[in-house]
Amino acid sequence: MKKLLSMILVAAMVLALGCTAFADGGTEINFWSMWNEGEPQANVIAAAAEAYEAETGIHVNIEWKGRDINTLLTASLDAGDAIDIFEDDFNRIGQVYTEWTYDLTDMAEAAGYEGYACFNDQSIAWAGYLNSITEQPQVGGVFYNKDAFAEAGIEAEPTTWAEFLDVCAKLKDAGIAPLAQDGAYTNFSFYYHLVRYLGEDGIAELRDNGGWADSEGAVQAAQDIIDLVNAGYLAEGAPDEYPSSQTKVGLGTAAMVVCANYVTAEVNAAVGEEVNWGLFNYPSVEGGAEPTAAYAGANSLAIASYSEHPQEAFDFIMFLVTGEWDQKMADEAAQIPADPNNTAPAALTGTIETLKAADKPMTWCGSLNTHPAWGDMKTMFTELFEGKYESGADFCAAMDALY
Amino acid sequence: MKKNRTLIFLFMAPTVICLLLMYVYPVLRTVIMSVFRVEDLTSGVGEWTFNGFANYVKIFHNASFITSLKNFLAIWIVGGVITLALSLLIAVILTSKIRFQGFFRAAIYLPNVISAVALATMWVQYIFNYDYGLLNQLVTFLGFDKVRWLGTDAKLWAMIAAFIYGSVGYYMLIYISGIEGIPTDLYEAATIDGASKGRQFFSITLPLLKGIVKTTITFWTINAATFYLWSKLFSPVQTEGSTIVPVIYLYDTVFGGKGVIERDAGAGAAVGVVLTIIIIVVYVITEKLLKSNDLEY
Repeated sequence: MKKLLSMILVAAMVLALGCTAFADGGTEINFWSMWNEGEPQANVIAAAAEAYEAETGIHVNIEWKGRDINTLLTASLDAGDAIDIFEDDFNRIGQVYTEWTYDLTDMAEAAGYEGYACFNDQSIAWAGYLNSITEQPQVGGVFYNKDAFAEAGIEAEPTTWAEFLDVCAKLKDAGIAPLAQDGAYTNFSFYYHLVRYLGEDGIAELRDNGGWADSEGAVQAAQDIIDLVNAGYLAEGAPDEYPSSQTKVGLGTAAMVVCANYVTAEVNAAVGEEVNWGLFNYPSVEGGAEPTAAYAGANSLAIASYSEHPQEAFDFIMFLVTGEWDQKMADEAAQIPADPNNTAPAALTGTIETLKAADKPMTWCGSLNTHPAWGDMKTMFTELFEGKYESGADFCAAMDALY
Repeated sequence: MKKNRTLIFLFMAPTVICLLLMYVYPVLRTVIMSVFRVEDLTSGVGEWTFNGFANYVKIFHNASFITSLKNFLAIWIVGGVITLALSLLIAVILTSKIRFQGFFRAAIYLPNVISAVALATMWVQYIFNYDYGLLNQLVTFLGFDKVRWLGTDAKLWAMIAAFIYGSVGYYMLIYISGIEGIPTDLYEAATIDGASKGRQFFSITLPLLKGIVKTTITFWTINAATFYLWSKLFSPVQTEGSTIVPVIYLYDTVFGGKGVIERDAGAGAAVGVVLTIIIIVVYVITEKLLKSNDLEY
């Protein structure tokens, strides 16, 4: 009996050693993702990793870190944790993690990677080299329900503020609230409007030196919003609590919302059906400094500078952000494809062209959000949409009082 | 019996080492960090630049931090007075031999066993919602115009109301355990002497609950100073001035916010030190004002 037991134990030990040797033989890359398991983006990444392993034999070990990955990355990269690929906002990859990012220039060139120039150029401008590959691009603008426009008899998308107000009037006459607005995005909406008058450099000057009340553009921008509110062009209850107001676009009770493209996926999910989406660039204003800039951002992928398998990691990134798997990501997560040669979902038609044409993308309130009173400014922007200011001059005087 | 000092040290060592590593070291590091210019939380000490009290000056000159302190004070004072008074009142009622007290205890404590995320979502989406929320249904039924409960003026108070709802049960249980520890013969004697229920409350219950009140004030202060989750849930996309609290400000300062890449771990450490000082000051004041050891029973 003892002999039998000994033989079984020895056999088990040999088997275990054999398995370990086999496991050690294969290459493994570690991928820290900003998604949570079960989310559409995570499902596509996990399926792509399986397909990549089947094709190359390289195992991609994915750790789902969630949206707060930025709270972990600096410490983990600094400590040299086992990370080959990590995923985050391209702003942070380009400006915060630069110390720990691999120079992807040569590998990208060898692979014939193109992507979007606006993100690649920005990455190089920040880091001095290409340090991230765009995975999930975003673009901002006015997203609208095409059915609502058709119901109101609107045939052309507005390009100027005056045309935009005409569209609002037609929608209101048709019994549809023209513009949905959640409180969480009032800063983005007003910033967009300010950019049209002053450009991001002009806003940065106001941030640094004040003088809002002396700026004709700032006063007029605020006055435009006050007039918009007074004309009754905001959806009932707006600025509402996220995501109540934007959901109204999906329900057909409101027609437009100023946001980034993820609003389409959020609203579709909220109403349980595919909304007939359209998109146009934020309207220009008369005499404005910046008539066309559109917000563009991205979640991107980077390789840790100390990765022992940079080429394998890069190959997996290419596998994910180009061709078949990128198209799956676009279709299943309702996103703009990272590969400009792929096709955007119907709801995001035109976004690829917008991104390809964008030479200098607008930031997410980047010229204001470093001001010490940014929190109070955001509250005031919401108050502007709540109709709490008599005039643009009053609003700008209140802004100056923050300095 | 002769003491074996080595054995004593050996038994104490794991606890002392853990305490030093996991509590004393982070606290000391945070205090020291607060007087240095430190960008990243993990920057080595060699990368720190001494800047005296500049971090403290910076945060106290920052409008967002001042707003967060004002919000903290509103939560601490208004929320505290209402929560503690309400939970004490309910505790007194539920210990006065009313019917179904077991049911009421469970019902009032129930919000504490529900996830705060679910609770906050319920308040935001089903009670305060402008279009179909319970409160606006009530308001329109009474013939008034709908109210923007989560507008910039009302959002902080809406959040405090929801937080009070989620907290009353917890403090009620603490008060109930305190009240049940008071000998019943004191109340019987008072009743025989003709004391009303109100007189009994102010002359027996309240004085004998001083120690418990002191504890609950300290607990509430810690809860208010470390208030984070509810603020995040009432401003899910990005930090808003109407709901910002010091810990949210600290978080944004250390890690950056939406679209913000600037980080300052030194200023974040200064916020942590300020919050700790607030808690210590409140503790010392309550200790001085409410001396619990002058009554024995």
